[in-house]
Amino acid sequence: MAIIETKQLTKHYILGKKKVVVGLENVDLEINQGEIFGILGPNGSGKTTCLKLLLGILFPTSGEANIMGKPPYDIEMKQHVGFLPENPYYYDYLNGPELLRFYASLYSMDSDKADKRIEELLELVELKDAKRLALRHYSKGMLERIGLAASLINDPEILILDEPTTGLDPIGCRDTRNLLLRLKEQGKTILLSSHFLSEVERVCDRIAIFHRGHLLATGTLDGLNKQYQAENLEDLFVKTICAFDTEFAAKTGERK
Amino acid sequence: MKKMWLIGVNTFRESIRKKTLYIILIFALIVIGASKLFSFLTAEEELKMIKDVSFSAIEFFGALIAIFASLAAISTEIERRTIYTLLTKPIRRSDFVIGKFFGVSMIIFVNFILATAFFIGLLIFKKSPPNMDVFKTLLLIFFELILIGGITLALGTFTSDAFNIICSFFLYIVGHLTSYGKQLIERTENIIVKGLADMLYTLVPNYENFNIRDKIVVGLNVSWGYVGYTIAYGILYMCVALFIALYFFEKREI
Repeated sequence: MAIIETKQLTKHYILGKKKVVVGLENVDLEINQGEIFGILGPNGSGKTTCLKLLLGILFPTSGEANIMGKPPYDIEMKQHVGFLPENPYYYDYLNGPELLRFYASLYSMDSDKADKRIEELLELVELKDAKRLALRHYSKGMLERIGLAASLINDPEILILDEPTTGLDPIGCRDTRNLLLRLKEQGKTILLSSHFLSEVERVCDRIAIFHRGHLLATGTLDGLNKQYQAENLEDLFVKTICAFDTEFAAKTGERK
Repeated sequence: MKKMWLIGVNTFRESIRKKTLYIILIFALIVIGASKLFSFLTAEEELKMIKDVSFSAIEFFGALIAIFASLAAISTEIERRTIYTLLTKPIRRSDFVIGKFFGVSMIIFVNFILATAFFIGLLIFKKSPPNMDVFKTLLLIFFELILIGGITLALGTFTSDAFNIICSFFLYIVGHLTSYGKQLIERTENIIVKGLADMLYTLVPNYENFNIRDKIVVGLNVSWGYVGYTIAYGILYMCVALFIALYFFEKREI
């Protein structure tokens, strides 16, 4: 059953009077409950746009996006969703526990439950020793980890992660990977976007490849490898992108 | 309502930990304290000078605090992208805007109270405890500061940091000159210029309405009716600014 769904989701950015940039074009996606779904694509392919549309940070030009059957602005739906943005920035003058307590309060968590959850999460992301440190003194990796903790504060059913391993060292990447697999075992649905093909290959049940705002392929890795006669994810990635670029160049050439 | 309050408290907490606002407050206190240096004047003139300089310092440095705090509340939050983590929580965009306004108002209030306490302490030290006229002046300054904060916040919902700061200072300066401008324009016979001036006069907040210090310092009386009318004007203008903020922020893509 699809817990996250987009139908003909389109986003055009209007730059100036005549220039329109395609952020996303007629994207149909269905993400099932309990799976880890990876969105792959080069820079500017529409990965983050897709996540932002799902979360109501951007508004679609046409089409629709739903999470748990609810539109992106639905408050009740957001109660069950956790989000980690790319290169997260937080309030510089708060420390880790203060940040998590603030977010917990926005989910209307009671104080005792929040305190317990904060302790668990700081332990989980190994930031217990940095409790008193203001976030402005955090390294990039520490910010990524506190961001991950923040996205889990409400024990969400759906976790949306934009480039969750950016800035993490290899051990941090491994820990995040293991955490995602543990969360999946708990029945959580995870939607992540990433540049790191190997990470995606190891954790995702299904993937989607985006390029120039278009959804090029979606399915299980094995299924897509067979379909595109690819040896691995990297090969699949390059083949789909190159095929699209060739087709795109031919089309734009025709138009000219 | 609870979420607005939580956002407001977080805005206030972040702000009081930054050094920028303290520096502005310290400057205000230094200027207020420096007004005592005019001891070569007669006692009466010295008291007038203390009041005049202190009212001006509380208003001017308060305006700086209001503008910078409001700027950080929405514009900076958007530019630094911390807003992504907030708007994906179960809050409405209106909770965010009103919450930020609460937070900025708290910052303005605390800084205003500290500067005012210092000023009143100085008056008491000079054996001239504040009378009701002093409180009327301070009350109007406070509402002016809240209005400045509200307008900067509203501008932040649809402009960049840089544009907002320029606009806010422009409005602050022009808002103090509109009355003079209107007097000058009334002498012109050009209908277009007159129409434009009237439009500007209506649109730009008239901060000079809140300025009664010149009258109070020289001992003229300002009625409670005028104070009440000006506060009502400030509240009405602030409501319009917040309405504009809500309208634009609901539609804003981040």
